[in-house]
Amino acid sequence: MSFTQLARSCGRLAALSTVRIASGAQTQAARMMHLQRITMPAMVSQVSSQKLIVRCFSARNTMEEIQHRVLKVVCAYDKDSRCRWQTQAVRSYSAKPPLSLKLINERVLLVLKLYDKIDPSKLNVNSHFINDLGLDSLDHVEVIMAMEDEFGFEIPDSDAEKLLKPADIIKYVADKEDVYE
Amino acid sequence: MSTRRQTITLYRNLLREAEKLPAYNFRMYAVRKIRDTFRANQTINDFKEIDRQVASGKNNLELIRRQVIIGHLYTSEKLVIEQKKTLRPSDD
Repeated sequence: MSFTQLARSCGRLAALSTVRIASGAQTQAARMMHLQRITMPAMVSQVSSQKLIVRCFSARNTMEEIQHRVLKVVCAYDKDSRCRWQTQAVRSYSAKPPLSLKLINERVLLVLKLYDKIDPSKLNVNSHFINDLGLDSLDHVEVIMAMEDEFGFEIPDSDAEKLLKPADIIKYVADKEDVYE
Repeated sequence: MSTRRQTITLYRNLLREAEKLPAYNFRMYAVRKIRDTFRANQTINDFKEIDRQVASGKNNLELIRRQVIIGHLYTSEKLVIEQKKTLRPSDD
């Protein structure tokens, strides 16, 4: 309960009791007053205890702690005296490194080599995934997904089912990225 | 009836959605479960059974989609194993 809420509820209680008094119900009003007298100090004591706790916290801080805290905040805003590498938040808006056919070739073969179901010794640019490398259609889907992750674009299903050799993938990626040399 | 192509598309969509799950444990579980289930049910010949499995796969796809959204509403900090190590000049 915040202080404003407490204050508001106290005010509401007081207004209620005054209305009751004005209406002439003396005993009722007396009872209300009594009740108020009981409840008000309870609330006040609650408030004061909260205040006390807060005060306790603030009082417990020693001078060094405060100094330390303030210096930390100041340090966070001070760009000059901070450590060098922290200030060098370089934003690089550059494009991807330019692809060449050779680079695409290497990257495709690397991804395939790292795929655990392909035997790297059998791997060749012209080896067929399903006939030569012994993958099934589910593995083929995973291979294509790995290629999507590697080159950062989506390959639609209709194209994906035609890419049955590493050479096909290289050609497809080169076409997509406009690489001709 | 479900065709081979539809099934493969479903597999792909399931894996794609599962990758988006923000919580590491859920993500890994989902990917593993999808792979294992498809592989376990690879040899089913009964068309009715295939249809039933594909339907449950579609239900699960919707479930994962919902779960991705909910997961992004209540994200927690990434696990230590997920964090990529960033090199600072002071580390070397």
